Amino acid sequence: MSPLTPGELDLLVPTHRLDMHGEPCPYPAVATLEALPQLAPGDVLEVISDCAQSVNTIPHDARNHGYEYLGMRQDGPTLRYYIRVPAQPRP
Amino acid sequence: MHAPSFREKYLVRFWSPTPAVAVAGVLSAYYFGVTGTFWAVTGEFTRWGGHLMQLAGAHPERWGYFRAIGLQGLPWDRVDGWVVLGMFAGALAAALWANNVKLRAPRHGVRWVQGFLGGFVAGFGARLAMGCNLAAFFTGIPQFSLHAWMFTVATAAGSWAGVRVALHPVFRAPVRVEKVTAAAQVRAPAAGRRFWLGALLFAAFAGVALVVATRQLKLGLAGLFGLAFGLLIERAQICFTAAFRDLWITGRTLMAKAILAGMAASAVGTFSYVLLGVAPKIFWAGPNALVGGFLFGLGIVVAGGCETGWMYRAVEGQVHFWVVGVGNIAGATVLAWLWDRVAPALALAYPKVNLLQALGPVGGLAITYAGLLTSFLLLVWWERRFLTRAGGERARSTSPAAATGVLG
Repeated sequence: MSPLTPGELDLLVPTHRLDMHGEPCPYPAVATLEALPQLAPGDVLEVISDCAQSVNTIPHDARNHGYEYLGMRQDGPTLRYYIRVPAQPRP
Repeated sequence: MHAPSFREKYLVRFWSPTPAVAVAGVLSAYYFGVTGTFWAVTGEFTRWGGHLMQLAGAHPERWGYFRAIGLQGLPWDRVDGWVVLGMFAGALAAALWANNVKLRAPRHGVRWVQGFLGGFVAGFGARLAMGCNLAAFFTGIPQFSLHAWMFTVATAAGSWAGVRVALHPVFRAPVRVEKVTAAAQVRAPAAGRRFWLGALLFAAFAGVALVVATRQLKLGLAGLFGLAFGLLIERAQICFTAAFRDLWITGRTLMAKAILAGMAASAVGTFSYVLLGVAPKIFWAGPNALVGGFLFGLGIVVAGGCETGWMYRAVEGQVHFWVVGVGNIAGATVLAWLWDRVAPALALAYPKVNLLQALGPVGGLAITYAGLLTSFLLLVWWERRFLTRAGGERARSTSPAAATGVLG
């Protein structure tokens, strides 16, 4: 599911953050797809959500819409997703 | 790197939704065989509303709706009551195992209003159509009741309308992206005691249900099925709302395909029980299924979760969904109160169409699977069309100016 191992994710340094604490679905997924086009190629977005259902939305949407989904860190109720904007936008 | 423990691998990490929904589909067919009724929750919630009315001195047991669905006894005297209690216990145990219980109040005040109104409209619509997503998808279509297909099409339309409401600026918070130089610090609450509390709850509920089963087989087994359903919906975060809603918002079909897989797994199982003589639950194929389905689709999207969705999110501590639950029960109760006035025109005058009778067993089975296959092909087509269009828009907008653009 996660392309990066937990160890690699621990070392990953994001460039941007979207904090969606307290927001129910669909807002975390919608905001993620709105935030990503604002970033430059190579940037890594960290999305924080405590809506557990986002496990079935954010990774899939990121990939479907041409971004590199790097993985998710799960600490109790807090989920952190890492998504990279590819160097060349994919079709 | 260390190998993940059993707990980490199976009880903390989320489960993949597609196999989980398929298992739920198989279980719902067995549930039908064991109890003679279908996996449903809103009917029971409506009865809870009825009990509250009784406490307030009213006589809802005289209303036609409660005469139709029954208001005898208390939740633990009923199969539907045991399955609902089991689902709450199973979902709470699963959330405790994963350390996923936390009081989460909505960040924006508007969510309270949104949750109540959405829950109310969804509860009202679900009961008007004689059952929510569970009764229609997991037990209506696999039970070969025509009304369930009408409900499904109307729910899809309603969810499209719901998206227009939910994404209206009134309900949107500004998207703020911050520049950072490190990952966010997260300190998870200690998991230890919660895990054992979850294990204790699970074992205690299972034990009680087994003892009850030795005296009243159907009640106890319904509790065990409920426990399993609760576990599945929480661990895999099964969301019928997302199945419809996200087709229109992001073009994602994951959950919709999972639910089709669940229905495909369930239908042939239900069919076999019907052949053995268990009577399927068939409802009126009238405008009530269409109007109710539309309102249900609209309501669940505005609320952010359907009847099963709010159950596990409520026990995870998502306060927003407590409000959805209250709205849901209120909406269902108001429908029960209005039923005698609206039912003759919207429901009772229409036939209860059992596809297995109308088309014969082979015809009914064939048309059901043909419908599921058509739905699957439509999903594949829709996803490709949506994502191709989104890709085209992205390519146009990814100019250097946009790439260095607006950061909060």
